[in-house]
Amino acid sequence: MTLVFTIIDSITKFFHSITKPLHGRPQAQYIVFGLLFSLIAWLPHLDVIKWGTMGVFAYIAIYTIVALGLNLLLGFSGLISLSTAGFIGAGALGIGVFLQLGWPFELAVIAVVLISAAIGGLIGLFSLKVDGIYLAIATLFVGEILSQIYKQVPIFGGQAIRIGSIEFLGNFELSMISQTDRSILFMIVAIIMGLFMVLMHNIVHSKTGRALLAMSRSEHAAQAMGISLMRYRLIAFMSATIFATVGGIMYAIYFQNVPTTSWGLELSLFMIAMVVVGGFKSIYGTFIGVIVIHGIPNLFLKDLFGDISYIFSGILIILVIIFYPRGFVYIGHDIKKYYYKLKEKFKRDEVTNNDN
Amino acid sequence: MDFKTLFTLLFNSLETGSGYALAALGIVLIFRTSRTTNFAQGTIGTFNAYIAASLMMRLDINIWVVAICATITAFSTGILIDTLIIRPAAKVSAISKQIITLGIIMVLVGLMPILFGIDTLQLPRFFESSQSFIIAGATLQYNTIFIIVLSLALMGLMFYFIQYTKWGLATRVTASDETTSKLMGVPTKRVTMLSWATAAIFGTLAAIFVAPRVGVNPNMLLTVQISAFFAGTLGGFSTFYGPVVGAYIIAFSRNFVQFYISDIWGNVIVYTLILVFLYFKPYGLFGKKPNKKV
Repeated sequence: MTLVFTIIDSITKFFHSITKPLHGRPQAQYIVFGLLFSLIAWLPHLDVIKWGTMGVFAYIAIYTIVALGLNLLLGFSGLISLSTAGFIGAGALGIGVFLQLGWPFELAVIAVVLISAAIGGLIGLFSLKVDGIYLAIATLFVGEILSQIYKQVPIFGGQAIRIGSIEFLGNFELSMISQTDRSILFMIVAIIMGLFMVLMHNIVHSKTGRALLAMSRSEHAAQAMGISLMRYRLIAFMSATIFATVGGIMYAIYFQNVPTTSWGLELSLFMIAMVVVGGFKSIYGTFIGVIVIHGIPNLFLKDLFGDISYIFSGILIILVIIFYPRGFVYIGHDIKKYYYKLKEKFKRDEVTNNDN
Repeated sequence: MDFKTLFTLLFNSLETGSGYALAALGIVLIFRTSRTTNFAQGTIGTFNAYIAASLMMRLDINIWVVAICATITAFSTGILIDTLIIRPAAKVSAISKQIITLGIIMVLVGLMPILFGIDTLQLPRFFESSQSFIIAGATLQYNTIFIIVLSLALMGLMFYFIQYTKWGLATRVTASDETTSKLMGVPTKRVTMLSWATAAIFGTLAAIFVAPRVGVNPNMLLTVQISAFFAGTLGGFSTFYGPVVGAYIIAFSRNFVQFYISDIWGNVIVYTLILVFLYFKPYGLFGKKPNKKV
């Protein structure tokens, strides 16, 4: 038993020593995290995972970006949005539409982000008047209107928009069909995820983050301290929509075939589930939430249980919320505590044994 | 504008509105007593409609008996969900509770194909569609009348219950302040349990009402569910009758706008109008602004 403890201790010590340059530099940690995640791009070439599995990982990166934005609303500002899926759709379909109109990719990105941010700003203005469940359902209205538009307006292509390939900077063309290109696309998505983690960290630790936190505790107290409700509500909703739109753009970049029908209430609820299950106010927690809600069912449960995997993910959500109401990210803390307790107990037993 | 279409639209809206109203009443009951938005309202109804349809298929009994059986299973589903899932999670935050109802949706939707197969099942009308009479040129089915009358009667009973009985009083005080009512000896746990059961029954009835038109499938109540939420916001969640009024308004305006203005954009127009309305009256038609302490 002592041997096991020594091994575990030395492993953690070793891990601690190789990550030493990153201690106290959270931004660098997120970048390294994104780079490590992007290495998954080469696993299918080595036949470690299937190409389809890489798609699941791409979804994880995309959803992480979106869920981070949502966490800014749910975790830091105490506001709820049920239109997230609509904005992912706006990013993905918007890119498709502008590319088909012949716009260069970069210009299309700017246009789509601006349009979404404007709608997000409108919701922000709306939220000054309406709150609680009324605001949640008002955003559901927005989500329903958006998904209706995607289905009905012919410019969105009816069933789906096929993009085919994307030209970066006018001459650097990447297509989903080529396997090497697909790996490069995955790396782009993963690195953007890392960058957005850094961005999130910076927002949260800036004046804006503190203002949002103050507002979520008490609007009146925040106002008394000179925090402009309107300004920060707008910032919160606009950043959340921009994060969601960027997630959508990443979807368009990686999958290059965007359906019009999958941007409804269900996806929005799943996005909220990711934040809730992973952990409010935690960046790694958000990532863990995406893994639990999207990764585990698609990577393991589907293979193990087939059709009934949906039931297992449902039960997983319920159990995690009942036992880890603050988020699954705290499980690490619990494991550590349990481990030390076990070690102490073992030491004590050993001492008493020796005495005898 | 002729009377025939007008009456057809009117009866149609009353019928769909009744379904929305029942679902909305279930949602507001749970919202007030459990402090959570029940996204699973539609799925619970659908699940019990599946039970009804498969009972009907296997045992070949008539729709009336089947509907009563479904009501009983709905009652038990509501109680099971409350005791097994909602009560252990009493202390989690409001948003987490909503996501628990998402978990319930996933479990129930996952169970449906295993228990009932993947085919769309059928449930007949309470009265054959040939049984009807004609008012001003518009056909009015007995089934439509039955649905409207039954829902109105149920809702009337419900309001009487809430307003004039001891249990109703318990429900109202639980809705207004759970901690205080617990201190006063109100059995809040039982009230919450009963409201989940009642909400499940309402959802199931809504499902049985729409089943003849859309067939029993996992998404049959999606529109009803979303419309019920919208009805709640339009009418205001702080009263029990507000959402009912909201439900009928939404059904009417959607039907009329879809018929007279645009079939495709009807929903979008109605939703935008409600959003604008909410901007000026943020707590709905009958809602009151909650007192916020600084």
